[in-house]
Amino acid sequence: MSGMSRRKFLVTSLAGSAAVTLAPACKAMASGSFEGYPDGMGVLVDLTRCIGCRSCEAACNKEQGLAPPAQSFEDKSVFDQTFHGGQKRRTDENAYTVVNRYDPEGATKPVYRKSQCNHCNEPACLTSCFVNAYTKTREGAVIYNSKVCVGCRNCMIACPFQVPAYSYSSAFNPMIKKCIFCYETRLKNGQPPACVGICPQEALTFGYRDELLKIGRARIKANPDRYVDHIYGESEVGGTAWMYLSSAPFEQVGFDTTMGKEPIINNVKDFLGTVPMVLAIWPALFTGFHLLAKRQEHGTEGDHSNNEES
Amino acid sequence: MRLLVTSLFGIFLTLAAAGLASAAAPPGMVTLDTLSEHFAGVSFDHQLHQDLATCDKCHHHTTGETAEPQCAGCHQGRTTATVACRDCHSTQPFSAAFIREKERDRGRYHIDKPGLKAAYHRNCFNCHEESGGPTGCEDCHAKTPAGTVFYNPGSQSAKPAAGAH
Amino acid sequence: MKTMIALGIKPVDSQERAPGRRWSLLEKVLLGLTPRQYLSQAVRNPMNWILGLAMVVGLPFILERFIFGLGAVTHSSNDYPWGLFLGFGLFCMVPLSASGFMLGTTVEIFGRHDFEPIERLALLNGLLGYLFAVVYLLVDLGQPWRLPYPMTVAFGPAAVLFLVGWHVATYLSVQIAEVSASFFEWMNWLWGKRFIRRIAVGLTVSGIILSTLHQGALGALFTYAPGKIHPLWYSSSFQWIHFFCSSIPGGLCMVIAVSTIVSKTMAWRCDETFKNSLDRLTVSLAKGASMGLITYLTIKLIAVAHDNEWAYLATGWGQWYLFEIFFGVVLPLVLFARGIRYNQVGLIRFAAFVTIFGIVLNRLNTALVAFNWKLYQEIPHWKEIVISLAIFALYVATYRFILYRLPILFAMKPLPQEVPVAAAETVRAHNTPEPAPVAAYRTGLDK
Repeated sequence: MSGMSRRKFLVTSLAGSAAVTLAPACKAMASGSFEGYPDGMGVLVDLTRCIGCRSCEAACNKEQGLAPPAQSFEDKSVFDQTFHGGQKRRTDENAYTVVNRYDPEGATKPVYRKSQCNHCNEPACLTSCFVNAYTKTREGAVIYNSKVCVGCRNCMIACPFQVPAYSYSSAFNPMIKKCIFCYETRLKNGQPPACVGICPQEALTFGYRDELLKIGRARIKANPDRYVDHIYGESEVGGTAWMYLSSAPFEQVGFDTTMGKEPIINNVKDFLGTVPMVLAIWPALFTGFHLLAKRQEHGTEGDHSNNEES
Repeated sequence: MRLLVTSLFGIFLTLAAAGLASAAAPPGMVTLDTLSEHFAGVSFDHQLHQDLATCDKCHHHTTGETAEPQCAGCHQGRTTATVACRDCHSTQPFSAAFIREKERDRGRYHIDKPGLKAAYHRNCFNCHEESGGPTGCEDCHAKTPAGTVFYNPGSQSAKPAAGAH
Repeated sequence: MKTMIALGIKPVDSQERAPGRRWSLLEKVLLGLTPRQYLSQAVRNPMNWILGLAMVVGLPFILERFIFGLGAVTHSSNDYPWGLFLGFGLFCMVPLSASGFMLGTTVEIFGRHDFEPIERLALLNGLLGYLFAVVYLLVDLGQPWRLPYPMTVAFGPAAVLFLVGWHVATYLSVQIAEVSASFFEWMNWLWGKRFIRRIAVGLTVSGIILSTLHQGALGALFTYAPGKIHPLWYSSSFQWIHFFCSSIPGGLCMVIAVSTIVSKTMAWRCDETFKNSLDRLTVSLAKGASMGLITYLTIKLIAVAHDNEWAYLATGWGQWYLFEIFFGVVLPLVLFARGIRYNQVGLIRFAAFVTIFGIVLNRLNTALVAFNWKLYQEIPHWKEIVISLAIFALYVATYRFILYRLPILFAMKPLPQEVPVAAAETVRAHNTPEPAPVAAYRTGLDK
């Protein structure tokens, strides 16, 4: 793990158990304005280029050594599969990325959307994890340490993109399964992830996140009729390393467009802010109450059994 | 293995492109197979496509003409030393070295130039899609045994001996 | 047990079986009955059969869960990571166990010693609720053997769950210490009881701090999922206050409910002080619960106004929300008001059960029903329900086992001050000069 995460830095800078208890609040104050590491990498997914060949799924399967799928990666019938309540396919323990087909209104041809971990600048999974199993690396990947994971699955609750999956079928070593940006095998060696490498259309453009934003804007500017004027992920939940361009309105091709620009952790700050206050004020306040009550008691009854206190 | 395939692919591209560039007259058949890994090379009937479209449809501006107004400002009427795809489109568009180079070159205009594989596919596929040409993967290039395994990892593990089919 | 008492058998309520002859530990455990008598009363009690059945049916599925994984017995999925084990076991058990710190505060901090007869029940209710919330958690965690990790191996101090973990663990210790006073009294280890008495205020204050924070933190856990929970059940500013506030009536009503049940089903175990003060205390507890409920209702409405969610009330979700608010909060408030006004204790007891229903409904709504409201609704696997019931049966059985024995509902009669010389050899250890201050815990008894 070459990148020392900001979180880790914070933790190391806090000492002692008192600090540990107070830390949530400290962290809350430090967060919210983080825009990613300057040399963080990312991927720009251009839905107008994707042809739904599913090569990225195959490459991911091979690179990450995942279990072989029930159906061939050439089988396009998976696009017609629906699950629970009309849900399309989603990432799971054997598929860190999936491509789904959408037919937005008025579009002449289907739009394919690849989903995988978006590698947030301020990952909700990371901030919700009580054993710090997640790390946002300097290179931009959000990676996961299964060695410390207790299996509370809070990260799955927290992830606004519904990405982390859990190996529920395992009784003895279940763990979170999600895209890790091919961190161990490629990203940290200066290579693009497997899906980017395989994509025939370069629907996936790999590069520095800030460069990708320039590229995205340039594409929109050069082809204003082809693109919705928005880069999804530029600012959603504090910005993500993986970002999207689309010809169709994002909400029609499987994106949640209601999540706002604030990192998820900002929602939790109202509570985290009260922690130091309660820790600091309550002892004095309630001990004070106790003393008041006792004094009164001594005045009136005076013989109460707990007079051996204090 | 991957490295080997990639480098073989690179060599092939170089050869193909060299063939293209050196010929003053347009070639008849071109074999595009430098990048082949999961799919075999493409036997490209240049003559056939020449009859179907103008040069700039594929060669953007390098033949001296361009219909794209964005390109015309700089490239109209200026032929280049090469018309080969690989001379402009990198086989490794996302290598660390290439990305660093782009990063250093702040004034670069073409910040979004596709790699060679995408240049081929997007040029061919998009046009085929518009004009009703074949768009299936194996309409242009046959799948290699490696490709069959790659896209069907399940069948591979079920029949370990069947890798050669 | 009633039959035994009808036969003239008196369950253990003192240290001495007869003057100079102390109860042995085994005799205490068997309530002073012979093994044969004990077994026959246990077999006669239908509740034992019901609890036993629930546990026997649930056990194979619990084993299945640990052998074949969570996937085998739950509908927990990648979309619904949390099911009934946490939705009910953690999010409902914890607020219903807020009684420990509520009554602790009332008695120890505010000096309302008139609540003492019920304080120990409230403390025990708190301890067992938390303990079994942890049991549910252990069943639900992917790798339960790593539960101590956030305290020992890897720290994620920015996470709300980190706070919950630490606080529940610490608070469990605090509650064990608080309840151990009864245990020490039962064992006649008066040094232990005196020690607990000495640190009682410290324990109680730390209980308040820990409770305020983790009751709220359970609510704050859901603020990680702003887009997933229906806006009517979600409030980034108020979620923790909702959970904290509702835990106050939750804990108090649980004490009313449990005391109602025990006064009906194990009246033999309740001493006169408990029985005589119960109606008065129930009314007092109801007053506290009403204050909590009205605060809760107000903040619930403020939250709707704050995020301007009025339009949602017109939808189907809104009706379900109004159902929860009406039957879970407004109705018990009205019943409490009437019960307190006209001193109708029966009505208050009913209202307490309604409040508990309301709290449980709220937690299940937040954790399961309104969760993923944009996706689809998940119904827990029937095996999840069976396992949850089995654990709940174990909870009830443990609760009952302790209530039967420890001086929770009754006071343990201390050894007489003068130990006859002849009995000195059997009562070797009894050299504590003055058990009086602690034994006067229930002053009424000494008269």
